[in-house]
Amino acid sequence: MSLLKPFSKLPTLNTASILLVESEEQFQQSLADALLEETAVTMNVRLAKSLPLPKENEESRPRIDLVVFIINLTSELSFQSAEASLKHLDSGYFLGKVCFLVINARNASVPIERLDAVRRLAASLHCPLLFAEDQTPDGVTNAAERLLTILKVAAGRVPMATALYLSNLTRCTVPPDIDQPSFD
Amino acid sequence: MAEVGADEQAAAELSEAAHTELLNLCEEQYAQLEKLQNDILLSEPGFGENPQEQSVNRLIATEAELKQWLTVEPKLLTANSGVLLQEGKKEILKLCSELEMVVSCYEAKRAKLRETKELEQKWLEEKKQALVAASDHVKRLQIEKEQISEQSILQDTKVKIQKMKVYQERLMECLSEMLESHVPLPESDSSANKKKKNATQEFNEDLISLNEILELLMNKALETPHDPYVTIDSTFWPPYIEMLLRYCIAVRHQEDNFKIRLEAFC
Repeated sequence: MSLLKPFSKLPTLNTASILLVESEEQFQQSLADALLEETAVTMNVRLAKSLPLPKENEESRPRIDLVVFIINLTSELSFQSAEASLKHLDSGYFLGKVCFLVINARNASVPIERLDAVRRLAASLHCPLLFAEDQTPDGVTNAAERLLTILKVAAGRVPMATALYLSNLTRCTVPPDIDQPSFD
Repeated sequence: MAEVGADEQAAAELSEAAHTELLNLCEEQYAQLEKLQNDILLSEPGFGENPQEQSVNRLIATEAELKQWLTVEPKLLTANSGVLLQEGKKEILKLCSELEMVVSCYEAKRAKLRETKELEQKWLEEKKQALVAASDHVKRLQIEKEQISEQSILQDTKVKIQKMKVYQERLMECLSEMLESHVPLPESDSSANKKKKNATQEFNEDLISLNEILELLMNKALETPHDPYVTIDSTFWPPYIEMLLRYCIAVRHQEDNFKIRLEAFC
């Protein structure tokens, strides 16, 4: 049971590493393929079902620049798993190196409380919350592009910008009326 | 660090001296990075887990970063002009491609706006035409109003009255012709119809025609509108009365059975 730390390893030259955490492992693969299209840097995409990461790969694992939690809104388990995984992340990551990616938010069967819960979680951790469409290739490409933008900053590939600076601008905030009962 | 890394590729085309200079620079940077990394590993304290502490951490980190940005001095990558030239070229090319994208975006936007403008102009033209037509109409009406004098109105009215008179004449003629051919006096009718022969013999000699009955009724209705009833006497042939009543041309007095009046048609 070891914490994943942002600065425990030396960075590799010209490399950006991203860790995709998804308990159901549906969207991970297609998103990873889309991310690998990027050619300006050496992309390093790691997939995980949940945290903590297994000990045996620790040596070969690069320094993770960005951790992405993929939450499928149609399943409660997906949210709980992400919540449990968060405990195995060093708090240094929360200074701009974590983001949440919500899929299936447009599904009609999604209870509205679950989206609120995810929102509250992201807001309490000051992390950006992204929404993605996982059914269409366009949606996957778009999600990959948005993640790359954050990843490049988090990996230090953008001069004059840091992950903390970016996340201060993009972090999720809870709307003030989220706790009030709706009248309809 | 990232900049230095990117430089290295560009430096491949540079002179040997510049290359070594860059490499040395990289080595230096990397050594510093390793040192910082060690510092981090040694000094890393156990962060708290709860969200409040997380917020405090964040605040401290942001403040530290701000302070660092305030104190940092811009410094040249390297003094070597070759390296700078190469790097500058790359940057300019990147900027160019970005600007080209902006240009194409704006051109598309402009084309769309132009299209909208054309549509709006067409619309404006239509509205203008409508306005011209309406004001023309107003002008014409005003001219007409000025030209019409009392004389001409009088003349017009006279012509209209004349027309109405002719029309009424025609109507009356029609009516009398029709009455003559279809509802003649009972005397002539009886000679043609043998079945009614016995009945007609009882008739009074001074029966009046339907024509006259209608005239009586109409005159009464027009002359004394408050009392339009006509008393039925022996000169009225009962079948005619019956017909007038049945086809709702005349109505009987509500209390007096021997009085009828013309139906109020208007």
